[in-house]
Amino acid sequence: MKTLLIGTLFALSLLAGAPLHAQDDPVRVGMSGQYFPFTFVEQDQLKGFDVDIMDAIGKEMGREIQYETANFSGLFGMLESGRIDTVANQITITEDRKKAYLFSEPYVYDGAQVVVREGNDEIQGVEDLKGKTVAVNLGSNFEALLRELPYADEIDIKTYESNLERDTALGRVDAFVMDRVSAAQIIKEKPLPLELAGEPFSKITNAYPFRDTEDGRALRDEVNKAMAALRDEGTLKSISEKWFGTDITRP
Amino acid sequence: MDVLNFEYMIGLVPVLLRYLPLTLQLAGIGMVLALILACLFAVVRVLRIPVLNQLTIVFISFFRGTPLLVQLFLFYYGLPQLVSALTVIDGITATIMGLTMHFSAYMAESIRAAIVGVDRSQTEAALSIGMTNGQLMRRIVLPQATRVALPTLMNYFIDMIKATSLAFTLGVTELMGATQKEAAGSFLYFEAFIVAAIMYWVVVEILSKLQNYLEFRLNKAYSR
Repeated sequence: MKTLLIGTLFALSLLAGAPLHAQDDPVRVGMSGQYFPFTFVEQDQLKGFDVDIMDAIGKEMGREIQYETANFSGLFGMLESGRIDTVANQITITEDRKKAYLFSEPYVYDGAQVVVREGNDEIQGVEDLKGKTVAVNLGSNFEALLRELPYADEIDIKTYESNLERDTALGRVDAFVMDRVSAAQIIKEKPLPLELAGEPFSKITNAYPFRDTEDGRALRDEVNKAMAALRDEGTLKSISEKWFGTDITRP
Repeated sequence: MDVLNFEYMIGLVPVLLRYLPLTLQLAGIGMVLALILACLFAVVRVLRIPVLNQLTIVFISFFRGTPLLVQLFLFYYGLPQLVSALTVIDGITATIMGLTMHFSAYMAESIRAAIVGVDRSQTEAALSIGMTNGQLMRRIVLPQATRVALPTLMNYFIDMIKATSLAFTLGVTELMGATQKEAAGSFLYFEAFIVAAIMYWVVVEILSKLQNYLEFRLNKAYSR
């Protein structure tokens, strides 16, 4: 009888302890590993702005961060099916995504930028994309931004898993649209003949999406708290300056 | 066009080699399981076991009639949506499940063909000396069918090794996934993918040599 009682109590304590135990589990963060300079791989090392920020958040929360890399188009499926807890891949807050997920506070303020092959004077900005072929990353919000333009049906939009920078440099497409900071960084650091065309045409804010569940909400609050602390002590700013030479974490 | 960056290619070899074992593991486990499943299917089809025969026909039809990538997405993203506990299926498991079922459907048909191809007189002779159906299969038919089926089965294995390159879509960083990430970081696509291509090629060449050896062994009884 006594053993049974102890056994039951033990089982109950395990059940009660389960949600508490979840706090010690590593936070599983999904990213593509293919979006320089936010997340990329060099000599087997996962690096980038998003990695540094997430590492800092994990340290602040006192929790281990476990990175899972997959093609970008698979990341939201992994979040949806519970294989990862959030996505750190410069995810832009959009109305549609807001309906499906909870978002943390924004950690990047940026704009959408048209990029063309060096010497292409025909395209000076987003208004010149009429009748052109434009590349965007599959599942990214830049496709939605282009489709919102009044002359959207005159733009031939091509979606890519990766490599759209190379295809633009090769002339297979006339331009690509990406966030301004990554575009500027790619042009500066990588051996591709590309240039910015005009000014950024739409403001975008990036944040971390979480599943709309009790656990998701708890984790979002935990991340927000850590992020606020990092913002106050200037860590967000210094990580941004390390990668971009400017602070993109403030509006 | 700028010249190839050989230094980068050489530096990439040891990095990518770390991911080759996972690629081989996925294909190796997938092949063993697919072989077992395919043999069962083939026997069911040859002996026309009622009910099982019909089920097998539907199974083969589905897994031969749909793309492997669609099957992988069904196992990995689709199933957990129906039953949330199925999230326990991780990317590696889903890949192995997909490879096993997809390739067993193909292999079942080539094993069946090999079994049917064994001369009828062999079966009659075995039955006339009182062998049971099981003994007939194990001792007479399957050994002869193996010899016939080997080249096509090796073909499927080679195809399976290359099919593992789809696994990165499920978040499994195997050889192809590692290459894609390295290429995206350096923007040196040609260099990265040619290194990966050579690695797949070398593995397949080694397997072809193994196949030659196995065929030689199995044909010994037939050579004069």
